[in-house]
Formats: sequence, C-alpha cells, structure tokens
Amino acid sequence: MEGLLFNVNNGYIEGIVRGYRNGLLTGTNYTNMTQCESIDDLKLQLGPAYGDFLASLPPNPSTSSLAAKTTDKLVSEFRYVRANAVGSLAKFMDYVTYGYMIDNIALLITGTLHERDTRELLDRCHPLGWFETMPVLCVATNIEELYNSVLIETPLAPYFKGSLSHEDLDELNIEIVRNTLYKNYLEDFYNFVNTHPDMAGTPTAEVMSEILEFEADRRAINITLNSFGTELTKEKRKKLYPSFGQLYPEGTLMLSRADDFEGVRLAVDGVSDYRQFFEAAGLGGGPGGPGNMGGGSGADGRSLEDMFYQKEMEISKGAFTRQFTYAIVYAWVKLREQEIRNITWIAECIAQNQKERINNYISVF
Amino acid sequence: MSGASDREAVFPTRQSLGIMKAKLKGAETGHSLLKRKSEALTKRFREITRRIDEAKRKMGRVMQIASLSLAEVTYAVGGNIGYQIQESAKSARFRIRAKQENVSGVLLPAFESYLTEGNNDFAMTGLGKGGQQVQRCRETYARAVEALVELASLQTAFVILDEVIKVVNRRVNAIEHVIIPRTENTIKYINSELDELDREEFYRLKKVANKKARDTAAADAEMKEKKAQQALLENGQENQAPAADGPDTTTDILAAEEDEDVIF
Repeated sequence: MEGLLFNVNNGYIEGIVRGYRNGLLTGTNYTNMTQCESIDDLKLQLGPAYGDFLASLPPNPSTSSLAAKTTDKLVSEFRYVRANAVGSLAKFMDYVTYGYMIDNIALLITGTLHERDTRELLDRCHPLGWFETMPVLCVATNIEELYNSVLIETPLAPYFKGSLSHEDLDELNIEIVRNTLYKNYLEDFYNFVNTHPDMAGTPTAEVMSEILEFEADRRAINITLNSFGTELTKEKRKKLYPSFGQLYPEGTLMLSRADDFEGVRLAVDGVSDYRQFFEAAGLGGGPGGPGNMGGGSGADGRSLEDMFYQKEMEISKGAFTRQFTYAIVYAWVKLREQEIRNITWIAECIAQNQKERINNYISVF
Repeated sequence: MSGASDREAVFPTRQSLGIMKAKLKGAETGHSLLKRKSEALTKRFREITRRIDEAKRKMGRVMQIASLSLAEVTYAVGGNIGYQIQESAKSARFRIRAKQENVSGVLLPAFESYLTEGNNDFAMTGLGKGGQQVQRCRETYARAVEALVELASLQTAFVILDEVIKVVNRRVNAIEHVIIPRTENTIKYINSELDELDREEFYRLKKVANKKARDTAAADAEMKEKKAQQALLENGQENQAPAADGPDTTTDILAAEEDEDVIF
C-alpha cells in the first residue's frame, strides 16, 4: 500500500538520497586514504567526493578545517533535500535536526550560565541544528529570561516542558540537562514515527524503530558507564534512560542499579548483540577500562564505543535495503557523519604521524 | 722583569710583605674551595642536563599520545567539546608547589605537582557518548602537564646553575691567573727590594768602615811624621837626607790609598 503513493511526494527525495549514498566513500577509498603521506595527499584522495568544498582550503590544512569543510558538504546536501521535502517527510527531517538543536541549545545555555557573550557561540553551533529563532537566544542575559521567554519559542519547547524548570537549568549540570532533553527527544521521535498516519505500519516505522531503539539503548549504556565515579546518583541516572528500546524495561532497571562494568554487562545480557559487544570489550579492556580505545593500551582491541558505531552503521546500511521509507534520510545523515569522523581520524593520524592506529575507522561499504 | 708592572702598589716593607703573604695564603685557600664548589656544581649541572634530555624525550612521547587521545575524543564525541570543557572547569585540579633545594649554596627552585582530590569539574562531559574518552584524554594530558612541570623545574635549575657556574669559574680563574700571580709578584718584588736595601746597607757599612780605617791610617801617618820631624829636630842636620825621603813616602802612601779606593 505504501508503495502506491510514496513516490508522488517523496520519490524525488528518495532518488536523491540514494544517489548521495552511492557517493559515500568505500573501503577502497579508505584504503587509499590510509596510504597518504600528508594532508595534501588526503585532500587529493577526497577530490572526487568533496572537490568543490575542499577547493578553498589552503595547502596542508588543519584537520579541524578539513572536518568543517566536509561537514559543510553534508549540511548543504541536507538543506537541499530538506528544501525539496514536503508533508510528513519535511516533519521527519525536522526531527532529525532536533538532535543537533539540543547540542546547540546546551551550548548556549552553558554560555548564558557563565555570562559569556553568546553571539560568539553561534559560530560554534552545529549548522544542522540551526533554527530561525536561535539568534534570539542570545538576547537573554539570565537563565530565567532565557527559559521563560526564549526557549518556549524554540522547537524544543515540548522537551523542556514538564521535565525541566528554569531552576533546573541553573542548578543541574548541563550534561544532565542535555541528556534529559535528548531522552525526551528520542521518546518523541519514536512516538512520532510509530503514530503518524503517514508512517505508522510502514517500513519507515519499522526501520526507524530499530535505529531509535538502538540509539536509546546505546545512550542508556553509555550514560551508565560514564556515570561511574561521578556525582550522578542512581535515581537521577534512571531518569535519563529513554523509556523504550530493547533494554526497556528490565535491562534499564538493571542498568539503573549497576555499580560497575560487571553490573552493566549483566543488565545487557538479555540482548545478544550487546552481550557480544561486552564480551569483546571485556576481553580487550577489562572492567577497569571498558571502551578501551586509547592510551595505546588497547591498540588492537576495539572499544565498546567503536562497536556501537559499527552497529549503528550496519543498521543504517540496512535501511537502504528497504524501499519507500523516510529512514534512508536519517541513515544517510548518520553514515555521512561517520564518514566525516573517519576522515578526521585518518587526517589526525597522518598529521600526527601515528600510522599504527590509522585503521581504526569504520567503513561499511 | 716582565711581571714587575703587574704588582700591587705597596711600599716594599717588611710589614707589607707579611700582609702579602697572608693574602697569598687566603687566595690559595679560597681558590681550592671555589674550585671544589665549581666541581660540585658542574657535576650537578651534568646530571640536570642528562635529566633534561630524558624529560624532553619523555615529553615528546607523552605529548604525542596526548594529542592522539584528543583526536580520539573528537572522533568519539563527534564534535568540538572545547567550549563545554572550558566552561565547566571551575578550579584547578592540577597544581604545583614551589620549593627550594640547596646545592653548594645555590638555591634551586623545584616545582612539585600534585592533584587536588575530588575535583572533577567535567566528569559528566560526554555523558551521552565519549565520556570515557574525555576522561582518559584528561588523564593523558595530566601526565603531559606533569612531564612539563618536571621539565620546567629542570630548565630553571639549568639556567640558574649555568649562571652560577659561570660566576664561580670566573672567580676561580681570577684567583688562579690574576690574584695569585700578582700577589706572588708583589712578594717577589718586596723581597728583591728588601735584598737591595740589605746590600746597600752592607755597602754603606763597609764604606764607613773603610773611611774609618783610612782616617785612622792618615792620623797614624801624621803622627808618624810629627814624631819623625820631632826626631829630626832632635837629631840635627845630619839626618837631612832621610828627612827628604820622608815626604816621598807619604805621597806614595797617599797614591796607594787612592789606587786602593778605585779598586774597591
């Protein structure tokens, strides 16, 4: 049924996005990139994919400017797709940007809290999370004003409502604010793809549910692992877990009680994917250092974070096997982000002459 | 004498000779002490140089690891977290304390680093993702800063010691090559002057003795002549011829006296 009318409004977009997906770097490209001796060589290798955007870079650019330029390409393509999207797809794409908006708002709140000139911060915001009323946020000078008159007007207002008051913004750690918002956002997004008449029961709902469930689980696990040894109490931690996902509700409950790496492992034992991740990470790093990617200690062992990224990429790749779905837009954005991260990583390794770790990128094509 | 000009302006007296001898003694003691100090400092200096070399190599390695771990953070968090970190840091976690170390009378500052406990301002950064990388990156950088602090205290010690060693060596050389030779010269000069005085005195005394002897001889001769004339007067005209000989002998004696004087 969904195939009958999908192409009326969204066929063009789907075609475009599939075209973009074919433009993603493949394993061969990455192999070539790892052979580069300098950033200039790398720039040359990226020529076919990113030509126009890298052209303005000076010779031997810094890795951060390289990352910024590659992000520019993603942003311009996303904006093009967004401009052509109509109806529920447009709404869907707005939802995709909300995640970036949360980061931007958290940045601006941090700036306001410390009474900095927030105008400078606008440049640091992620362009995908840009919304029209964002510069207005800079008008507010104190947090109460920001909350009462400005945040209400942003697309994120529903996520603040009910869970965060303006006192919370002042008192809570900005990371808790950010994660609360993100939790509300994930739940809302999940709800949106499963109840919207255009999407409920279609492949979109199916694929997006899988992706969002994975995202929710990943956040829950990460928050738990990262909160060990911080002042975040178990009760508060529990509030940050999204209320859906493969781990919900038993796994989440167990996560909220976990005290150490072992506890987290027990909590996720019910889901075979995560159990495998933890087994691999547990062998690599041990309870002391799960997620062991750094310090040279776990050079060959893949970190939990790496495996999550890998899994995310595989799900995203899988999304393209389905027809008539909005999920490919989301998947494409995620794949592109990973590509940018890979490029940055490879550039960083080349710039620092640390070739032994250069193969730590994640490529699924 | 070439060193004659290089001496102190003193009167060549016995008293100043005593002073000079005391001064030479002092200079020699000072020289050996300073020499020992310089050696101790140089030993320390070499050790510090070696440690600086080690620390610099270590710093190179640590910094490399640290910047790679920062790259990891960028990879895991997927964005720039610099601003959040800056804003959430409230008080210094890593602090240094300065203390002083005494090496042969030279005060060397030494920095000691310590971590303030329970100060973890951005423990929550990257809570959603990348938190572990952030924490590890912080640890790595803490190690890098530690290496830097160590290097800083070594470098400071290096500079100070360098300065002090230069000063001490300058003093050692000054004593060895200027003060001691000059004092020795002075002593030599005084000695030679004193010898000269001795000799002059001796000559003067001898001269006086000679003069006295001559005077006595002259007086004797006069007496003899007087006696002879008296005897002549007493003996009458027959002794006329010997009387003519008498003045001849007196002139002979005078000539001989004069010759002797030239020889002497």
